Amino acid sequence: MNLAFKDIRFNVLRFLLTAVGVAFLMTASIGMVGLYRGIVADALLVIERIGADLWIVQGGRQGPFAEGSAVAGTMDRRAEGLSGVASARRFVQFSQQFPFAGRSLRASITGLDFPQDRGDWISLHSGRLLASGHLEAVADVSIGLRLGDMIRLGQDDYTIVGLARGMVDMGGDGLLFVTVNDAIAIAQRRTSEEVLLARASAGPAAANRSSVPQDSKIAAVLVALTPTADEAAVRRAVLAWGDANVLSRVDQRDLLLNQRLWRLRVQILAFTAVLLVVTGIVVSLIIYMLTMEKLHEIAMLKLIGAENSVIISMIAQQSFLIGAAGLVLGLGLSALIFPFFPRKVLILPADIALLGLAVAVICGFASLLGISRALKVRAQDVLS
Amino acid sequence: MSTTPILRLRDVTRHYRSGDSLVRALDGVSLEIHQGEVVGILGPSGSGKSTLLLIAGLLEPPTTGEVLMDGRTVATAQTDLDALRTFRRTHIGFIFQKANLIPFLTAVENVALALEIDSVRPREARAYAAHLLATLDLGHRLDNHPARLSGGEQQRVAVARALANAPRLLLADEPTAALDSVRGRQVIALFREIADRRQAAVAVVTHDPRALDLFDRTIELCDGRLGHG
Repeated sequence: MNLAFKDIRFNVLRFLLTAVGVAFLMTASIGMVGLYRGIVADALLVIERIGADLWIVQGGRQGPFAEGSAVAGTMDRRAEGLSGVASARRFVQFSQQFPFAGRSLRASITGLDFPQDRGDWISLHSGRLLASGHLEAVADVSIGLRLGDMIRLGQDDYTIVGLARGMVDMGGDGLLFVTVNDAIAIAQRRTSEEVLLARASAGPAAANRSSVPQDSKIAAVLVALTPTADEAAVRRAVLAWGDANVLSRVDQRDLLLNQRLWRLRVQILAFTAVLLVVTGIVVSLIIYMLTMEKLHEIAMLKLIGAENSVIISMIAQQSFLIGAAGLVLGLGLSALIFPFFPRKVLILPADIALLGLAVAVICGFASLLGISRALKVRAQDVLS
Repeated sequence: MSTTPILRLRDVTRHYRSGDSLVRALDGVSLEIHQGEVVGILGPSGSGKSTLLLIAGLLEPPTTGEVLMDGRTVATAQTDLDALRTFRRTHIGFIFQKANLIPFLTAVENVALALEIDSVRPREARAYAAHLLATLDLGHRLDNHPARLSGGEQQRVAVARALANAPRLLLADEPTAALDSVRGRQVIALFREIADRRQAAVAVVTHDPRALDLFDRTIELCDGRLGHG
């Protein structure tokens, strides 16, 4: 006879309410881990999918994902001339706010070196990729645009020809893909006042220049190597230019995870640990209280000769059932709630397995408290 | 009546320390209860009745003296009573003023549990438990939880549980205190029947004078000492 199941079936509402309480704590833990995974996935999205073996960035700098980076507009031509380089593309990315239908939208403008890069690596949800070198854009759905919408960026109107899903930058802003040339034009947007001020200070020849110094908008050059290329040799060659640094995909990952996102990772990990400790305390208290409620029955069980294993099994099973139910309900709640969160919450099977392990440890510890109390009960206590 | 008593207490004392003073809960008590015998243990509050029951039930060790079952010494001052859990399960049944049923188990499960703890297979345990309850006129209450049973019905379930492992000795502590006089007499009559039919020895601690005529004999405790009724 399984006493734990019998007790749960008899007090099913109490069990469910307890499990729901634990489930909310589990949901919060799953959310914290999922948020972290989402941020990492978003941060690595471009690096992993854009198909570059090497990133050539401004000399002495760590590239656009770590700090400001600007390379010469012709650096892609230089890179193409290196032995072992299959292709070189320019990379531009910057955040932009723009008005649309009375709202202010925000996007991360990302340049595709069209026609070399037509954006085949983008997760297209509907519509099509860029087919023209100008005035077309593919937007992530999170920006809030629809197919056919016209948006004004810089001095021009762009038509949304495609919608992507899950394409966001490290900050969670949806990516808006245009050609590199369009991206540069948008970045160099100047107000009339700026142009007038530039003319006044430097004459008509300066009209094409901004009063605000404008660096190159090319943040990096993406290099794809041939299968037989010697990566180290290409690196050496680029570094020999003096005005460029070179990073591999692994370098970029390391840079993002262990430098740029390090504090965030530790913060989220610490908060998750706090949540798990709170869960542990709550589950321990619940199991302890459930045990305290049953002291008389436990004394009776001892009186009729039940071995300690019967009592230990009852308490431990209840503890693990509460934990398991809390985890399952927590997963269900997570699946219901997190899709509505503004940032990606990524729930990975490996994380669920780890969380399950943590819950098992918590339940084991919690049941130890109850068991240690139960084992102190004497059969004669049934008379008290 | 066999010559070897089922229960024998030999010069049992039980002393407690309370601050600087020594409380003599039992003071040199010797008694025997034979098979088929229903013995009433009477006495005022604090006379040592419950202590006597705890020592006879192997739940507390005597300070001095010894407890014998079927002629064999089973408990002395040095005995580890926890090690006697299995012996207690198979030899002694307990009934209390409160039925002490497990609230989340049905009547039949409460009885079957005692058997399953004794390694009886669940299906057989349930069948025998149902049979026991039926013999106690509870065949129609098998699947009711204790909260759905009257006080008398709960007490009969407790009796069935105590009988489940066919113990040689049945110890009852104020089993009629929570029952009306009719139900109280019925319970003592049930002990009488059990003693006759199963040849068990039954010791009943009671204050209740309404069913004294159903005991084979009574013994009276006063200040931890024995006097015969």
